[in-house]
Amino acid sequence: MEMTLTMGRTLLKIFSRDRQAIFFTLFFPITFMVIFGIASTGADDPIEIGIVDNAANQFSARFIETLESRELFDVNVGAEEELRARVVDGDLALALILPERFDGSDTADLTMLVDAAQVRQSAMLTPLVEQALLDVERELRGIEPLFPLSVVDVQARSQRYIDFLVPGLLALTIMQISVAGSGFNIVEYRRKGILKRLFVTPIRSGQFIGGLVLSRLLITVIQVSVLLAVAVVLLDVPVEGNVLELLALIVLGSSIFLSLGFWMGSLAKTQQAIMLLGNLITLPQMFLSGVFFSIEAMPELLQPIAKLLPLSFVVSSVREVILDGTSIAEQIPTLIGLLAWLAIGLTLAIRFFRWKEVAT
Amino acid sequence: MPIVEAKALVKRYPKPGSKKEHFLAVDGVSLAIEPGEVFGILGPNGAGKTTTLEMIEGLTDIDSGEAFVDGISVIRDPNKVKEIIGVQLQDNEYFDHLTLADLLRLFSRLFRRDDDPKVLLGRVSLEDKAEAKPAALSGGQKQRFSIACALVNEPRVLFLDEPTTGLDPQAKRNLWKLVENLNSAGMTVVLTTHNMEEAEHLCDRIAIMDHGKIIAEGSPQDLIMQHAPEPPEARLHGNLEDVFLKLTGHALRE
Repeated sequence: MEMTLTMGRTLLKIFSRDRQAIFFTLFFPITFMVIFGIASTGADDPIEIGIVDNAANQFSARFIETLESRELFDVNVGAEEELRARVVDGDLALALILPERFDGSDTADLTMLVDAAQVRQSAMLTPLVEQALLDVERELRGIEPLFPLSVVDVQARSQRYIDFLVPGLLALTIMQISVAGSGFNIVEYRRKGILKRLFVTPIRSGQFIGGLVLSRLLITVIQVSVLLAVAVVLLDVPVEGNVLELLALIVLGSSIFLSLGFWMGSLAKTQQAIMLLGNLITLPQMFLSGVFFSIEAMPELLQPIAKLLPLSFVVSSVREVILDGTSIAEQIPTLIGLLAWLAIGLTLAIRFFRWKEVAT
Repeated sequence: MPIVEAKALVKRYPKPGSKKEHFLAVDGVSLAIEPGEVFGILGPNGAGKTTTLEMIEGLTDIDSGEAFVDGISVIRDPNKVKEIIGVQLQDNEYFDHLTLADLLRLFSRLFRRDDDPKVLLGRVSLEDKAEAKPAALSGGQKQRFSIACALVNEPRVLFLDEPTTGLDPQAKRNLWKLVENLNSAGMTVVLTTHNMEEAEHLCDRIAIMDHGKIIAEGSPQDLIMQHAPEPPEARLHGNLEDVFLKLTGHALRE
């Protein structure tokens, strides 16, 4: 134990003096968070639409007012020629031409100018315009809607993209600094002959691994806590669940990736090999594990595989605890997944990390 | 009783580019080194010097044969052997961001000791470099620091693998002096080298190795007497380099 602590303390000292490593492991996730945080706090840009008001009466004014009152639209009133040109330029999403007889006395046809190349956008906008027309019509005819729809948010709070993203980024950071901490470091220590030098002292492999794991776990917990603090303070991301449970998840997730890193570090003999192997294992998870978008949004075929990746279990458990306050005890399938990956990681690490072979 | 004893050590490595064929890097090497000796293993590159040393240190598995340090079997009790030997490896680096004092403190603790790094650095004349990083040291200083690291456990036997390779004459002489001092205080030293002058100057006894085998063994004087070419082939008088070249041939090694 004493040797393990000596090794752990030394590795912590090395890390605390490695300003570059500290900077880069925090810089990327913080930059990501801040950029997405700013992007998702601003309201959506309104859609630019044009109206050619040939009627110029109180009804047309009322109609324009209704559209303008919806924050979704930014209404430009003008002449047909000018607005048509702006639709062609892509400056306006559509232009509506109100007929001269727009007074409710009779059916009047409206014309909508759209860019057919933007079929999707027009398909989305048409119902909105129709809805505005319907509202004006109801008002003119003095009738109430037969089926008024009221929307209730079951989440009972609004979820911004940044709220979704932050737990994913935390999990991603856990994976990256853990794999680097064991895998990349081992290859580096071997290249420098440090492992060989340690091997001729009485320290045992278990004590060396123990020291490295302890120091990396502490480093991961501190770094992830800093990220979480930035998210809470700067970006107002809510933490609904128990912070101690979150810590336990960080330690569990980090242990999985540390052990996978030990395995990779034992297989790879050179820096290039560990870079390749590390990327081969971490990059697909970065995109398939629901860090940036939900796994449910992916092609059906990929989903079952994606859900079984180790990072997916870490992402989903961290996200549940942070956003929904769901205790780990209530996430049994995810917990089983995490423990299974820990078992796989440890087995691979123990099977492949042979002190003498890795050191020399 | 010898303090270091090797009996018919063998190490096989796969032949480069072939999976089935093997070659013998060390082919039946036996050594008996007495306490207080400075023992040199000489040989051209690839002769098996480092492999022999690493088998005795417990760094490399012994394929067949046996090795003992102070009567302890390296095969059965490698950790006990590590406690009583000091090892200086061929050009190894250290952890980044740690000073010489930090590193010595670490190595010291790994032997469950708590020695003052300053004292160790003083023994190798690096006391003013306690707060320097290894990367900032000159070649000779690096080698002296390596030896300081190997001294943390007050070893009975000190193993030095090509300690003066790449050093300038001043640094080389300085390192010889250090080895002589350690030896005169009673430490057994086993070193590899391909520097004849070094072997002649430092070693009480020498084993010359080539192709994994010991081809001659004895004191430098004995070897010169036995193997130095007769005049007029030799210059004024034979020296150890003549012996070496006569025994291992003149062909260049990689």
